[in-house]
Amino acid sequence: MKPEKNDKALIQVKGLRKRFGEIEVLKGIDLEVRPSEVLCIIGPSGSGKSTLLRSIAFLEAYDAGDVVFDGKLVGYRDDAGRRRLASEKELNQDRSGFGMVFQHFHLWPHLRVLANVTEALRVVKKIGSAEADRIGAEMLGKVGIAAFADKYPEQLSGGQKQRVAIARALAMKPRVMLFDEPTSALDPELVGEVLGVMKQLAQEGMTMLVVTHEMGFAAHVADTVVFMDGGKIIEKGDPGKLFAAPESDRLKQFLNTWRERSI
Amino acid sequence: MTTLDFIATYGPLLLSGLFATLRICFFASLIAIPLGLVVALLLRSRRAALRWIARAYVEVMRGTPILVVLFLLYYGGPSFGLVLEAEPVGILGLGLYGAGYFAEILRAGLQSIAQGQIEAARMLGIPAAHILWRIQLPQMLRLVVPPSINQIIVLIKESAALSIITVPELTKIGAQIANETFAVIQPYLAVALLYWLLIEILAALGHWLERKVRHA
Amino acid sequence: MREKVAEGRMRVSREASMLDLLVKYAPDFFHGMLVTIFVSGSAILLGTVPALALAFGLMSKHPMVRYAANLYRSFWRGTPILVQLLVVFYLLPVIGISVPPMLAAILALALNTTAFQAEIYRAGLQAIPYGQIEAARMLGIGTRHVRWRILVPQTIRLVLPAIVSEIVIIIKNSSLVSVIAVTELTRVSQQMASNSFRPLESYLAAGVIYLLICLLVSVAGLAVENRLRRQGAVSL
Repeated sequence: MKPEKNDKALIQVKGLRKRFGEIEVLKGIDLEVRPSEVLCIIGPSGSGKSTLLRSIAFLEAYDAGDVVFDGKLVGYRDDAGRRRLASEKELNQDRSGFGMVFQHFHLWPHLRVLANVTEALRVVKKIGSAEADRIGAEMLGKVGIAAFADKYPEQLSGGQKQRVAIARALAMKPRVMLFDEPTSALDPELVGEVLGVMKQLAQEGMTMLVVTHEMGFAAHVADTVVFMDGGKIIEKGDPGKLFAAPESDRLKQFLNTWRERSI
Repeated sequence: MTTLDFIATYGPLLLSGLFATLRICFFASLIAIPLGLVVALLLRSRRAALRWIARAYVEVMRGTPILVVLFLLYYGGPSFGLVLEAEPVGILGLGLYGAGYFAEILRAGLQSIAQGQIEAARMLGIPAAHILWRIQLPQMLRLVVPPSINQIIVLIKESAALSIITVPELTKIGAQIANETFAVIQPYLAVALLYWLLIEILAALGHWLERKVRHA
Repeated sequence: MREKVAEGRMRVSREASMLDLLVKYAPDFFHGMLVTIFVSGSAILLGTVPALALAFGLMSKHPMVRYAANLYRSFWRGTPILVQLLVVFYLLPVIGISVPPMLAAILALALNTTAFQAEIYRAGLQAIPYGQIEAARMLGIGTRHVRWRILVPQTIRLVLPAIVSEIVIIIKNSSLVSVIAVTELTRVSQQMASNSFRPLESYLAAGVIYLLICLLVSVAGLAVENRLRRQGAVSL
């Protein structure tokens, strides 16, 4: 479902800045994500892609600028003109529309697969066991691993683990799914099964913000591709145009190295 | 009596107890560390019988309370010809007990040095004692110093049990003052604070030593 | 007393063999052993939840909480158990609480083991990849639940060997409560020594029993560890 050009943006990032100690990692980012849009962020290591995603999720507290989700500021509150950090409860509210998938899955090893998926349902949404299990099983089925519900994470392959992580995030019915290099830690043969699930989600109209090195996915599934380097957005636009006719030198260089590697 | 009076009256006595404790632990360590090294070497011996004896020693010392060891030596000693004053018995007991723990620490240290280095030295004809002294021990220091400092601290704490076999160390002095004054809080708190201070200083010393050894 | 022993050995008939002695005192030793296990076990169990709380306190964001936690840990790890025992035993009546010696003993040991267990749990908590906490936060799971349903279950499995060591240490340290007249294993052996004039046999018997208890605990610990590992839930 292609997003309409005049849909109001679901996520707005304005002038975002973030520094770690002496180093400024994000140097003023402006970005918009519309409902049902699939936006891929690509770029070399150290460009700040992950930091940008984590700042939107407020896993890192950004130093300046705004992250606005559904019209509300994420992570901070304006208290009589001064900005203060949101409390844990407020932050949970801010994040409640996000679902996030991490590079290293971060499943909880002491819980079985189904329990991983239903934990938040029980604890946060206070859904009863039977209902939670039903939703959990449905999500596992959706990502194609219903058969593994009773296993422990360590018994699964990387691709299977990541699909559990996706199911875990989906179970909470997020409005936006954030993916932080979801396939970077996987063996090459397992990448496809995860990208397949992500493509299916995109086709169902999920709003997705994906940091990735998988150019094929960016080229074929994304509605918008953003190229970052050195903490700034260098180019942004339709993937067809961006990949076929890059304007900036840095993007040309980046795509060349990728093309050479894939030969 | 007020705290100030207490410190003035009993301060010197308590300090003498503290020094007694330090002295006792020092000598106990002089027994425990070399003996521990011997046991550690036995633990790595090629002869199974020696390994077995060493392992038995370590397990006995780690599974028996220090108090029982002290009672055995002090009250049971005469039964097999060991008649010593309380303090030497305490030092001996603490030393034998500590050796069991140092043996494990030193064994791990010995093990951390790649076998290859020792084999190379042997091929060159260097005698075993020389290998130990010049090749193994210097490299072990980094690994062995932190747990050893820790073990010395443990020995200082265990030394309080010596008060039960009447050794006039810090805890016993505290008990004596408590008896005399019928005030129990001040002496025992004072004793606790003195141990605490001593151990904090030792721990800080240990960290300093650790850092020095790491950069050696 | 040692002079009496020397005399006693001459007076007591050498016919009383070690076996006779052991049979005579076996019931007392058994009772003493039970008291030892009870005192140690109670102290360890009592200390577990406070130790977890203290571990979180040591890692707290609030400097005051961290400071208090560090102070507690420093004191209870930096002073001898015997002294702690005496302080607790004599302090309680002074502040108006009158408890039997056994309770004072359990309390002192519990306060002590809390500090040591806290250190063990803290190391375990810090070994868990931070990403698991981030994943939980993104799902909206609050701090309390993150701690008790995600961090603590993994930590306990992770640090089980260290906890078994701590259990053994508490069992050995329980011998010190004999000085406040709790009739545990060591005190029984003291009584046997003074009644029978056979200190060597008495204390050897006590030593052997302590060894057996500690050995059993270690073996049990290994068994639990293996069972948890087979459940497939210990890897990180």
